[in-house]
Formats: sequence, C-alpha cells, structure tokens
Amino acid sequence: MHGSETQERQCWRCGAGVGAGLVCPHCEAPQPLPPGSDLFAVLGLPRRLVLDGAELERSYHARSRALHPDRHQTAEARARELSERASAMLNRAYRTLRDPVARGRYWLELHGKPLHLDNKEVPAPLAADVFDTQEKLEELRSSPTPELRDEVRQTRDALAARLHALQEDLSSLYAGRNGDGLLGELKRRLSEIAYLQTLLGDIEATLGNQRGAHSRH
Amino acid sequence: MERIVGIDLGTTNSLVAVLEEDGPRVLTEPESGARLLPSAVAFLPGGEVVVGNRARELAPDHPFEAILSVKRFMGVGLEHVSDEDRRRYRFVDGREGAVRFAVAGREVTPPEVSAHILRELKRWAEHALGGPVAKAVITVPAYFNDSQRQATKDAGRLAGLEVLRLVNEPTAAALAYGLDKGEEGTIAVYDLGGGTFDISVLKLRGGIFEVLATNGDTRLGGDDLDARLAEVVLAELPSELAGRPSVRARARAAAERAKQELSAQLRTEVVLDLPEVGRQARAPIGREDFERLVRDIVARTVGPCRSALKDAGGDVREIKEVVAVGGSTRAPLVRRQIEEIFGRPALVDIDPDEVVALGAGIQAGILAGGRRDMLLLDVVPLSLGIETMGGVFTRLIERNTTIPATVKETFTTAVDSQTSVDVHVLQGERELAADNRSLARFKIPISPMPAGVPRLEVTFLVDANGILSVTASDLRTGLERSVEVKPSYGLTEEEMERMLEESIDHAEDDVRQRQVREARVEADVILAATRQALAAHGPLLVPGEGDAIGAAVAGLETARTGVDYVGIRDAIETLSRTTEPFARRVMDESLREALANRRLEDI
Repeated sequence: MHGSETQERQCWRCGAGVGAGLVCPHCEAPQPLPPGSDLFAVLGLPRRLVLDGAELERSYHARSRALHPDRHQTAEARARELSERASAMLNRAYRTLRDPVARGRYWLELHGKPLHLDNKEVPAPLAADVFDTQEKLEELRSSPTPELRDEVRQTRDALAARLHALQEDLSSLYAGRNGDGLLGELKRRLSEIAYLQTLLGDIEATLGNQRGAHSRH
Repeated sequence: MERIVGIDLGTTNSLVAVLEEDGPRVLTEPESGARLLPSAVAFLPGGEVVVGNRARELAPDHPFEAILSVKRFMGVGLEHVSDEDRRRYRFVDGREGAVRFAVAGREVTPPEVSAHILRELKRWAEHALGGPVAKAVITVPAYFNDSQRQATKDAGRLAGLEVLRLVNEPTAAALAYGLDKGEEGTIAVYDLGGGTFDISVLKLRGGIFEVLATNGDTRLGGDDLDARLAEVVLAELPSELAGRPSVRARARAAAERAKQELSAQLRTEVVLDLPEVGRQARAPIGREDFERLVRDIVARTVGPCRSALKDAGGDVREIKEVVAVGGSTRAPLVRRQIEEIFGRPALVDIDPDEVVALGAGIQAGILAGGRRDMLLLDVVPLSLGIETMGGVFTRLIERNTTIPATVKETFTTAVDSQTSVDVHVLQGERELAADNRSLARFKIPISPMPAGVPRLEVTFLVDANGILSVTASDLRTGLERSVEVKPSYGLTEEEMERMLEESIDHAEDDVRQRQVREARVEADVILAATRQALAAHGPLLVPGEGDAIGAAVAGLETARTGVDYVGIRDAIETLSRTTEPFARRVMDESLREALANRRLEDI
C-alpha cells in the first residue's frame, strides 16, 4: 500500500533515492522513518508473531551500526537529531519484539485490541488461586508466623512455575495460526500473565516487608 | 582528524587519554610526566585556585578550602549530603537545589570545582598533542542519575570543553578490555572507585558492546574504607582533638596510605603526625583487622551485583569474565568478594587506575570516526517517570532500557481555563514519587480551554548520554510548545551563563598569572647572570657603563615584584640591551683566554 510512497523517498541531504532504508545508501545520512512504520518495519522484519531471535539480534545490531548517534556525532544538527530519534525507535522495537509477552501485547495494539492492564476483572482460570493467595497475604500481614511464610513461599513458587509455563506456551500459540480466534486467545493468555506478574509482585513485596520487620527486632 | 580527548573525571584521581593508531594512550603532565591528577582543588584567600597534588597537600591545613572529592557532590542537594561530609566541608545553608561550598570567602558549585580539574587536564592534553583541545568524552559512574550527569556536562562547558558524550565508567573499561582481547560473550565489570560503586553486565559481539544491565551505589567507595580506618587512629586521641576538621583530614590521608600498604603487606601502622600540637598517634593494624573492620562496606556491593545479574536475564555461569576496575579493587578482600559473587577470579590485566581513561579515549576515537568497527549500546541506569495523582510515581522509561530511548505521553487539563501543564519528572525505583529523586519540573503553556479539552503530547527523550530532554506539542493545533525547565539540583541556564562569563575572566587571570610567573623566572635568570659577570669581569666595563647597567638592574628588580608581566618583559629587554656590549666583551675575553690556553697546550 505504501510501496509507491517509499519509492519516492529521497535523501534530505544529497537527494539520492533511499527506498525504504533508514539511512541514505549514498551519503549515510539518517532518514526520517517512513510514515506509518510499525516496530517490525523499523527492524526491517516481516510483520509476524513468530520471530527468530538470532535474526532479530542481527538486524538490530546492523541497524544500530548505521543509525546510532555515535556514528553521526560529527555531522550536522539535522543528522544528529534524526539519528537520535531513529535509534530510540529502533531500541524500542528491539526491546518490544524480543520479549514474547511484550510482542504479544504489541500485536494486540496493532490489531486494535489493546490489553488494558488496569483491568480489575480477574481471569477466570486464576480466580480461585487469586482469592486464596490474597487471603493468605492478608493473614501474613496481620499475624505473621514462620509456617505461614513458608506456605506463602510455596504458593509463590507454584504461581511462578505457572507463569513460566504460560510464557513458554506463547511460542506454540504464535506458531499455530488459528486465524480469527488468535486475538481472543492471545488476549486471554496475556491478561493471565499480567495478572500473575502483579500477584507475584505483591507476594514479593509482602515477604520483603516481613523480612524488614524481622531484622528490626 | 579533530582531536577529541577522553577524560576519566574520578573521585580521587583524574586522567586524560586519546586514541592513537596503535591504541589508546594516557597523556601526562608536561612538567612532571605524572599520569594521574589528584581530583583536588584548593581555593586560596587571595583568589588563587590550585589543582592536583598541591591542593591535596593543602588539605590538612585548610580542610574547608581544599575540596578532595567533589564528585560526591555533583548534582545533589544539601539534604543528600552525609553528616560526615557536612563536618568535612563548609556548605552554604538555606539554599534550595544544588549544594554550594563556602570557600575562602566565596561560594562555588560542584561543577565549578570540577571545571578546575578539567581545565588542568585540558592543559596537559594541549601540551601533549601540540594544539588546542576543545572536545571531550567524559566518563561518569553508570549509576549516576540525570542531575549528576547534567552537572558533569556543565563542568565540561565551564572548562571550555564541548562534552560530546558522557560514557559510563564500567562500559569504558569494557571497551578497553574488548579492544585489548577481542573477546566475545557476556562479561561483568565490577567498578569500585573512590566514591562510587558500579556493576555492569555486557554482551560483546562482533564489535558491539551491548550493556544488558547496570546497577550500583553512588555513595559507596574507597573513601568509606578510609573513613572507617581513620576512626581507629582518631580513637587514640582526646575527643576535642579528634573532632577538629584538620586532624580528621590528616587521619583520612594517613588511613588511605595504610590501606594501600595493606594490599601488599600483612601488617602496617596508621601514623598520624600532628606537629601543631606536638603529638603523634599511631595505630598498628593487620590486614585481617582491617578486613574485619570494612567487611560490611565491601559486602554492600553484593546486592547490586545480584540485581544486575537478574536484570540481565542470565545466569552467573554465563559470565565469561569479570573485569575489576578502580583502585579499591586492589584490596585482597575486594578480590575475594568478587570471586565469591561470580565464582571466578577478577581480570586485572589493565591497570585499574587507568582502564576507564583508556576506554574514554577509545570512545573519543569512535566519535571522531576513527573506529567504525566498534559500537557501544548503553542503558539508562534508573527508571524515569512522572508524578501522577496521589503522589504516585508512574514509570515511563524502565531502568536498563537501551539509550537513546523515547516515550510519548498525552496530557490534558483538570480545571477550566488552565494556562499551563506542570510535569514533575523523577528518577528511581520506588513506588511513591516522594521516595524517588526529583529531576526537574517542566512547565508547558497551553491556550485556556474548558477542562479536559486540550491535548498536549509530551515527548521524553533520554539521549545517548543518559540525559533527559522534554518537548511538547499541542495535538489540536500541531504546534510545538516551549518547555520551561526548572532543574531540582542543577544549574539554570542563567546561572550557567553567568558562570561561563566568570570562568572566561578567570581563564584570562590564569593565563596572566602563568605569564607573570614565567617572566619572573626569566628575570631571575638574567639578573643572576648579570651579577655574576659584573663580579668576574668588572675591569671590562667602559666608563658610564656600570651606572647604566646598575639602573637597568634596579628597574628590573622593581618590575619583577609587580604583576604586570609586560612591564617585566620590557625591563628584561632593557637590561639585556644595556648589557649587550659588555656581554660581547666578556665573551671575546673568554674566547681569547680559551685560545691562549690552547696555544700553550699546542706547544
């Protein structure tokens, strides 16, 4: 769709044709990102949920070499500014796409179904565990005992294992295209992951506070 | 190619280096050949400022006027200064924002103090390279926050240096090692300097140095070990004496010496000479005693190392090498601590005092376009965010995000006809805004409209130096909005302008002082030579010549006591013109004598 537009892109400095490139092939000047570039495009990768980690890194490193501000330090102000902006986008693209969870969330955003993290609704498969854990944490805060601490630690380890399994499962979800159902399923799993992460954070915070309280005695 | 120098602006010592064809090289002081410049600046009552060894030597007698570790105070407020440091220096009270030292009847900010160190290194470099140096890369602790980085950049500007890049010290060290060994894989850099501790985990691959995570403590360093050891010898003195700033300064210097000795030997003594009260205090100490004394301080490096390893997402077993940086890593206790954390001994092939400067020199070479095969990808050490409703800290850029990094936020108004939006930016890892370090408040003007209607898009950008800038645009009109910055612990643009003007005046003063000194030396040489010639060859004077020379000598003697170096030079010129015929006769006579002797020998 924007193929014809990118054909006409010309280097702002020397006028050479730059195609879809991020730097001018002739004078190496960094170019403004083509309008509507998504994070996949910034890395020069096809828009796909399945990504090869090694290829991702190769592409990131190659583009960093061309775009990084260190490479344009002695150039004019416009080149320095464009290099800074483009590098910042490139860094964001790499940070987002290399992590399967962040990549999944970004995928939902791209498809107009962003995951709202302030969503208070507990995912159904987690409801019972969440309820149970919150209760234990409440108890630990009001009347801590070593046994209760151990119990909470066990819960934490079990939840961490579950989180890990969910994250591992993402790659098989990404690989098996189940068409229209994918977005819904992705959203369910990512919200479960987000909820587990928050819950684990609460547990660590409570255990940490308890440790602080003990050492003060 | 333009010369860009790399500077390690350390807590204890500072160095300057450049990248040459065959690798990085540390530049030395022209007069002595010294490689390290003690990071000490002393402000004398007459307005004279001395830097380096002389300033350090002045510290015991002028504890408030000689500032020994200004880096501890860069970009911080008085409320962040420890009680010990408050006793150690005199600060200007009742001022918000950046700390100010009260020295010799004037106020100076930490960037001004650091600028004196940078100016001296600039002089070394210009002498060594035979030309002006106006651009530099300066290293900072990786865990320095935005204000501390900005203060370092300000110091460079005050010293007449354009700071092209701030490089994190452990990253610089990794560059020096990477260039040296050409290694690939994941490495850790453990950097225990004079006042700060950093740990960085990096991945080296195909010339790319990618920082995976960094952590640290900007209030932990070799200074803390010295302070602890100093207490041992101070305990030998009555408390009235032990409380005196000049005595404490001497005790710290004695402790530092003893600490260094204990890295090489098992026993030593902390010897504290107090000639002004006719006393001496001695405290014998063994390496084991010392280690027991400071074990808890060294153990404070463990937590940051664990956090960095966790954030790097790897296992400690994946770390291929641990590089030790900073003079304090010479201590056997620190070496053992490193080995305990990483399960392998530290790599110390490059002098831990020089490795950061060498890395800064390499980065300077990269920026100048001299090393296109190497590239640094560094990170922001602490999360950046804004204060939101209820004093909550909302993170916008997470710690260990690769820089440059950017994020956009949309703001609107809460009340009708609001004319500006205030944004409070903070840095840190705590949940409440008040628990994090305030960086700056940004005021962005908007056109008055009903509440909630304006849409202001604010872009936060952390550049490759780890320094934040904020721009704003009105989404309804698409117009850029000016952003007024009020730094919490930094210098405002007006303060910078004023200091720049002053520093140019001072730079002229410095040049003048140097020229006066040089002219005086020259005057002394010619005066001594004249006196000697008059005494030895008086009979060669023609009538009236003696009086003329006498008058010229008196004229120069008067001139040399003044501060007008042009006047001194004129008087030197007059004396040498007046004595010229006499000098020629003396020379001829000496020649005749020499020839006469020769003839006698020939016979």
